[in-house]
Amino acid sequence: MDLNARARTLLTKLVSLVWTWRHLIISILSLAAFIEIWALYSAWLRGDSPFEFRHWVQTAEYFPYPWTVFHAFIDSFTVPDPFSGLYMTDHIYASLKRISIAFFLSFVTAVPLGLLLGRSKTAESISNPLVELFRPIPPLAWVPIFLVIFRFFWGPILIVFLGIFFPLLLNVRLGARSVDPMLVDASRTLGASRIQIFEKVIFPYSVPYMMTGIKVGLGIGWMCIVAAEMLGAVGGGVGRYIFATNGVMRYDLMYAGMVTIGLLSVLTTGVAGLIERRVYKWMGME
Amino acid sequence: MDGNGVTFCIDVRHLGKVFHRDDKAVVALRGFDLEVQDGEFVCLLGPSGCGKTTVLRIVAGLERTTSGRVFVHRKPVKGSGGDRGMVFQEFALFPWRSVRKNIEFGLEMKGMSEAERAKISSDLIDLVGLKGFEDAHPSELSGGMKQRVGIARALANNPEVLLMDEPFGALDAQTRNLMQKELLRIWSATKKTILFVTHSVDEAVFLADRIVVMTARPGKVREIIQVDLPRPRDRTGADFIGVRGKVLEELDEEFEKARAKEMSPE
Repeated sequence: MDLNARARTLLTKLVSLVWTWRHLIISILSLAAFIEIWALYSAWLRGDSPFEFRHWVQTAEYFPYPWTVFHAFIDSFTVPDPFSGLYMTDHIYASLKRISIAFFLSFVTAVPLGLLLGRSKTAESISNPLVELFRPIPPLAWVPIFLVIFRFFWGPILIVFLGIFFPLLLNVRLGARSVDPMLVDASRTLGASRIQIFEKVIFPYSVPYMMTGIKVGLGIGWMCIVAAEMLGAVGGGVGRYIFATNGVMRYDLMYAGMVTIGLLSVLTTGVAGLIERRVYKWMGME
Repeated sequence: MDGNGVTFCIDVRHLGKVFHRDDKAVVALRGFDLEVQDGEFVCLLGPSGCGKTTVLRIVAGLERTTSGRVFVHRKPVKGSGGDRGMVFQEFALFPWRSVRKNIEFGLEMKGMSEAERAKISSDLIDLVGLKGFEDAHPSELSGGMKQRVGIARALANNPEVLLMDEPFGALDAQTRNLMQKELLRIWSATKKTILFVTHSVDEAVFLADRIVVMTARPGKVREIIQVDLPRPRDRTGADFIGVRGKVLEELDEEFEKARAKEMSPE
């Protein structure tokens, strides 16, 4: 085989490889473009750019370079933070624990309640005004009063709980409402009692809706974490970290905290997705 | 309770049913009577909307009666229960359960042990010809196979009566004919009493010991036709066609009435 032909087969292979992974490549490029625009903007603010604009230079400190944030992120795991002396791992642990407890609480309340509200007109009439009244209130609004009533351990947890609870409740309720009435008829003619219909028909039917609610809820839960930990939280937390580093004007650390929340949310959503696929496989609904 | 000492497997007396939709009352059934003997295969036939499915659902305990009484083996029907198995037109299988788990549903509800359940479901899987598909899920099955699961599931509770609501209505013609033969085989193997709703004259004549032709709404019995042809029946035989003609004649008049009623302003 001459060199030319070999180069050609290599090129064909490369092209097909790029084609196979094109969606991943596009995603990476999109992320890279974002970081590049950020870097250009930071440079521009510092007059460190081909363009001659210097008059916003005083805002430059709000916009550290991407690599500065990257270093701050790496350092946050080895250098204690400037406000509480904790490491990023401690903050991550505290926030994950908070999200987990809040998730557990929402799961055990929203799922049974959602199933009930989806199947009982009376239960729905009783709860609907309350649900519709409380659902649009941003969890942020509850922060001061929750911290007074529930203090710095349960307060932040319950604020996150609110964020997860409503999307989960509404999705499970929708699932229970959507149950094919024929399946309920079939289970009745097979001798199922009311409780058995809930357990063996309505619940499994609602599982895909529940999984959607979990994924949406977790996302909102992470959105609430800054608000929840804003005024203080037992054992720190990534939200606390963002708020406190902002207070001491360490914006590089603040952005590092924001990146951490993004990554944590990706992590929990990923785990939820994995569990979802497992559940569907187990239920034979792939 | 019969006075003459005869007990029927299914005994429906002067059944009436009124549905309330919005604020209009629709009389679905008025003075419907039916007596079905043990082990008998009875088809309910009638124009669409005549209430034949309603009769079935009332016997199954899925609907309440407005008037009249329904007995199954001398016991008045109160709600649904495992003693009356039902097979649905759209199969109504649980999509998250395997074939075996679908069939075992009723047994699970009774709290039967896993070993006992497995024994019964294995026998039924053999009976309905689903061997090798025990662990498949409904989405992997064809329509005919889904209905085999539906029949096995209804039989699992060992009911006295099998109620079938246009069970082969969603199948293509070939599968339908095959499933009719299969049903007759299963029926002769299990000796169940079958009440079968259909709007196909051909199907009714092929399957039934007796065909109950219903009137247009409000539904009641127009005519009961005894089908004395020996099984297996030949759909192209002269006597089959003769019975078919007789049934069609009865039904046609009701179709006409139903249509006239539909056209006239109320």
